[in-house]
Amino acid sequence: MLDFSIMADALPKLLKGAGMTGRLSILILLLGMMLAVPLAYARNAKSVWLHGPASIYILVIRGIPSLLQVFIVYYGLGQFGFVRNSVLWPIFRDPFWCVIIALGLNSAAYTAEIVAGALRQVPKGLVEAAQALGLSWLQTQRKVTIPLAVRAALPAYENEIILTIKATSLASTITLLDLTGAARLEVSNTFAPYEVFLTAGAIYFSITTSLSWLLRRLEVRLSADHRNEERSVKEFQPVLPGVPDH
Amino acid sequence: MTMEWVSGYGLQLIFGAVTTLSVALVALVVGTVLGISLGTAKIYGAKPLRYSAEAYTAVVRGVPDLIVIYLIYFGGTVALTKLTGEYVDINGFAAGVAALAFIFAAYAGDIFRGAIGQVPRGQTEAAHALGLSRRAAFFRIILPQAWRLALPGFGNLAIILIKQTSLISVIGLEELLRTSSVISGATRQPFLVYFVAAILYLIITSVVSWGFRNAGIRSNRGFA
Amino acid sequence: MSVRAMESGSSEGGTVVMSAVTKRFGSFAALKGIGLSVDRGEKIVICGPSGSGKSTLIRCINRIEKHDGGSIVVEGCLLDHRLTNIEKVRREVGMVFQSFNLFPHMTVLANCMLAPMLVRGLKAAEAEEVAISYLRRVRIADQAAKYPSQLSGGQQQRVAIARAMCMKPKIMLLDEPTSALDPEMVKEVLNTMIELAGDGMTMICVTHEMGFARQVADRVIFMDDGTIVEEGTPEQFFRQPKTQRARDFLSQVLH
Repeated sequence: MLDFSIMADALPKLLKGAGMTGRLSILILLLGMMLAVPLAYARNAKSVWLHGPASIYILVIRGIPSLLQVFIVYYGLGQFGFVRNSVLWPIFRDPFWCVIIALGLNSAAYTAEIVAGALRQVPKGLVEAAQALGLSWLQTQRKVTIPLAVRAALPAYENEIILTIKATSLASTITLLDLTGAARLEVSNTFAPYEVFLTAGAIYFSITTSLSWLLRRLEVRLSADHRNEERSVKEFQPVLPGVPDH
Repeated sequence: MTMEWVSGYGLQLIFGAVTTLSVALVALVVGTVLGISLGTAKIYGAKPLRYSAEAYTAVVRGVPDLIVIYLIYFGGTVALTKLTGEYVDINGFAAGVAALAFIFAAYAGDIFRGAIGQVPRGQTEAAHALGLSRRAAFFRIILPQAWRLALPGFGNLAIILIKQTSLISVIGLEELLRTSSVISGATRQPFLVYFVAAILYLIITSVVSWGFRNAGIRSNRGFA
Repeated sequence: MSVRAMESGSSEGGTVVMSAVTKRFGSFAALKGIGLSVDRGEKIVICGPSGSGKSTLIRCINRIEKHDGGSIVVEGCLLDHRLTNIEKVRREVGMVFQSFNLFPHMTVLANCMLAPMLVRGLKAAEAEEVAISYLRRVRIADQAAKYPSQLSGGQQQRVAIARAMCMKPKIMLLDEPTSALDPEMVKEVLNTMIELAGDGMTMICVTHEMGFARQVADRVIFMDDGTIVEEGTPEQFFRQPKTQRARDFLSQVLH
């Protein structure tokens, strides 16, 4: 059966990998959110020149595997002399930053879709009421649209956070020693795949499960006014996976 | 250079895409059957069965796909080696299909569960009142209606599945991404090769999602 | 025992016999010891305020609802957990629901053919013949190829009646068949039900349509709070209700 001494030996190395997984996740989510907000506004804009490119960006990113996106940034860009000669080359040469760029651009597309949907959910009547009261566009956004949209976006964004953490495992394919990378290295040393991968899986599972529990509590607190009806709806309509892959 | 692309590398990429599609198709079929079973177990099953189904979904959702793939591939190799006494290299295609089907099933199960739950209770009651057996009521009345409700979510999952096949490249199966990596090593034009691969993926996912949208429109007949 | 029942020669005590039937939904007692015997060919109308347990009662007769205590015997079959008995009873008992419950993914014709083929083992051609003949009787044969959603509520309910009839049931249960309909459609469905009653089939109908009860029922049963408060011929019940509760109820529905 399982050899627990191997698991105990592997644990510190895997936990060190988990630290890398955490750093990657935070930076990817930050980059994704920064790009997602303007992208979402563009997606909802009336002008074709704004929503056209935004829609195409989202469509393309969602249509190709994220691992391919990682490879394009890490291996692909180096093909060009101007990239290799630019001041940015230290960044594009470094697998750490390549993963953050690739998965950050990826997360931006999914997050933009969530944010755009949430913005569209804000009832038109409320915006009109705010304008009738004399609020400017920016004030309306700040005081009415955004607070309401944040609540609407939270459940889907929770999902996005979990998916991003899982997606960082792709970093292991370009030599990074994140949790998955550390596990692979350990397996090649011990050739005990069950013990090592099960331990790694358990660490991932505890991170994602406890985080989604925390986020759920945060969500409940933020939407305290109409949480009863939302809860009951949730119970009868199990959450469908929006985008389980990256 | 151009000739090489048309005759050699281009053809190789097409073969890679065919492998990608084959893996996805087999995993889709196996995963759908597993997923329906899982969803059914969650609704109709006895408590132990229900809890195991819930636990299964929670674990698959909480762990990266790569870990599942590695566990099945390397774990399977170790198990078979111990079993047979000699080193067995597990078939990448089989391991990939199994891993993707297991992952697919976890999500599909919840989609089906939600869809079955949305079919009005009166439908089951009417079927029973007409004397239909539980089996017939499920397969003739509930499933066809649940299917229609599940189709959009299911289509999403199928697209995701196609993209997930790229992960199988890590265990050496020569699907589209792996083929691209090999070619880009040979040509030293990684960007170009990966770009072509991206377009192939984009074509496949677009066609499949268009197909699902059409199927959705067709399956809505009778539902004004 | 009604005249018709004597003619059909049933002497074993009734085609549906319920004794001391109880049913709870959580802490709510929906049925509190129901005793009821229905003769073959009898037409029974059950009425009472909402929440009185009348729907629950008839849903127990084909075990769409499971009763908790007491016994129910239908066509000589004791209804308990045994699946064979339940299936036997359901073959002989048709049901029409308040909300029609037609299968939306099947055409009208397919709705009517399904159970005869799957349960009675009819061939497609035979089932179609039966289906068309009953659809003709409810005057909707020309809509056979349509889907339920393309029909009006009244048409859907007539299809539902035809669908139940296609199984040639001995007993027909109708659970408020007109209460989900727009007022102008109630009449067409009632007429169909009156015709049905003329066939001599056993009918148990939950309804507030007192005109229908007067015209068709052999017996009216008034329920309140999970019990049968009073029963009698329509004549007795409408002319001289024995209890205050029945009088209150009648003054509300008849106004």
